[in-house]
Amino acid sequence: MGRYQMSRPAAAEKIIKQIRVLKAVAFVTYKEWAAYRTHAMVSIFVGPVYFLVQYFIWNAVYEAKGSINGLTLEQMMTYFGTAALINYLIMDFADWNLQMLIHTGKYLTYILRPMSHIYFALSQKVGHRILGFIFEFLPVFLIFAFVFRIPLIPAHTGYAVISVLLGFMMMFLVDYCVGVTAFWLTKTSGIRRMFLLLRDICSGVFLPLSFFPEAIQKAMFVLPFQFISYVPVRVCIGSYELGGIALDIPQIVGIQALAVAAMLLFTILFSRLGNKHFTGVGA
Amino acid sequence: MTRLIKIYLVSLKNSFAARMAYRSDFFFCCVLILVSEMLIPLMTMLIYSTGASFPGWNLAEIMVLQGIFMLARSVANLLFFGMVYNTLSHVREGTYDLFMIKPVSALFISIATGFEPDSIGTIAGGLLVTVLSAMVLQPPGVLDVLRFMLIFAFSLISLFSFAVLMSATVFKWVGNSRIYEIFDSITSFGNYPLTIFSRTFQIIISYIIPVSVIAFYPASALLGKDISGFLPVIPVCILFLILSLCVWKLMLSKYTSAGG
Repeated sequence: MGRYQMSRPAAAEKIIKQIRVLKAVAFVTYKEWAAYRTHAMVSIFVGPVYFLVQYFIWNAVYEAKGSINGLTLEQMMTYFGTAALINYLIMDFADWNLQMLIHTGKYLTYILRPMSHIYFALSQKVGHRILGFIFEFLPVFLIFAFVFRIPLIPAHTGYAVISVLLGFMMMFLVDYCVGVTAFWLTKTSGIRRMFLLLRDICSGVFLPLSFFPEAIQKAMFVLPFQFISYVPVRVCIGSYELGGIALDIPQIVGIQALAVAAMLLFTILFSRLGNKHFTGVGA
Repeated sequence: MTRLIKIYLVSLKNSFAARMAYRSDFFFCCVLILVSEMLIPLMTMLIYSTGASFPGWNLAEIMVLQGIFMLARSVANLLFFGMVYNTLSHVREGTYDLFMIKPVSALFISIATGFEPDSIGTIAGGLLVTVLSAMVLQPPGVLDVLRFMLIFAFSLISLFSFAVLMSATVFKWVGNSRIYEIFDSITSFGNYPLTIFSRTFQIIISYIIPVSVIAFYPASALLGKDISGFLPVIPVCILFLILSLCVWKLMLSKYTSAGG
């Protein structure tokens, strides 16, 4: 009993310390990137322009058809609008950052710090995306809502928020794993591009996954990529289906949480394995 | 002129030598750029597989258009688009002075040293998509091929003007690597038939920002479609080039060597 009473405050103190570290790193990252806020604001132009192209494409495609793969024109526009907005919330470059640190040998300075690099990188992402929320998400949301009149209010707000947060984590973990490959390959621009391309295709950024052949859809169901963007978008829209499997929103969000937990475990183990290969020498 | 060609060839040799330091990464990048450029045709094929289509364009025709878009972009990337990254990185580091003290124009040096061998794979891919798709259709006549080549030259002029404008912009907008995204978003209109856009947008992407010339008009020429709208695009392309060179000159004069 006494031990239990002693360990509870210690655990709480540890958590509070971790949150303080996250806040500090996120704040510094926010301040650092706020100097380049006009770079982030490029999205205010780029996002709506890409959406405009999608608008014309799908208007032309839907001219002769009322519904394609079970989606109406309005649902398709909502899909692309929501996908674009969610991307501003979950985007990261942990892969590039980690491979750069390994390639230049700067990763050494992170090994000497009293915190894991994964947690440091995650904290950086939090700060960077808070900036993205203010300078990318909000303005583009207003443009989509008031200029394009896209219905963007999620069908289940609570589940949508949880799903986007899980998507945020999954994106980070997948990208971090790609960065870890630099422990073996040193220069990873090629493999990074391949993974990022695969990630974007398989997460439904370019086209809803329901457009792919059924066998591929089934394979995508067990891969981690759909949990990055496709699942959060479908949760926001209020229905989920992939490879003939239709699930309720709480069910798919639960599966998403399990997938993120599994990916977190894999990332920690993969990162530890990679660290053993690090020689501390830049290339 | 001979001197400039010699400089260009030396720069080309250097670019290859530098890239070959990481051979496996180079080959990997060639394949991956090709795969990533194939993404739009792949998405179009998936759309057509559902029975949907762009009005007035069958799958083979749209593949010709997107193959030409890929080809134009990759030729531009290989020959002169590297100047954007060159300018961007050197201005950010404050080392663009090294280009300015050379006994040839800074623009030429930026182009010559920006040769990007990674695009070779995409050129092959673009050619393959275009030729294979064109073979499915009726083979184009000699006149169609000649018209295509002429319009393709204007496609490259338009892309060159974009590259010069982007490079000029980074003198003032220091270190903004997202300039590529702006370019990609504007030119993404060029991946699709002009006819799917509203009348206003058709005018904008033909007679204000010549995006339709990148692939739509060359593809229409090769497919024997109506290209009467192309004639007014010629002066627009030339004016766009002149404008980009003027902006370059103006921005170059504002370079401060300060970095950022």
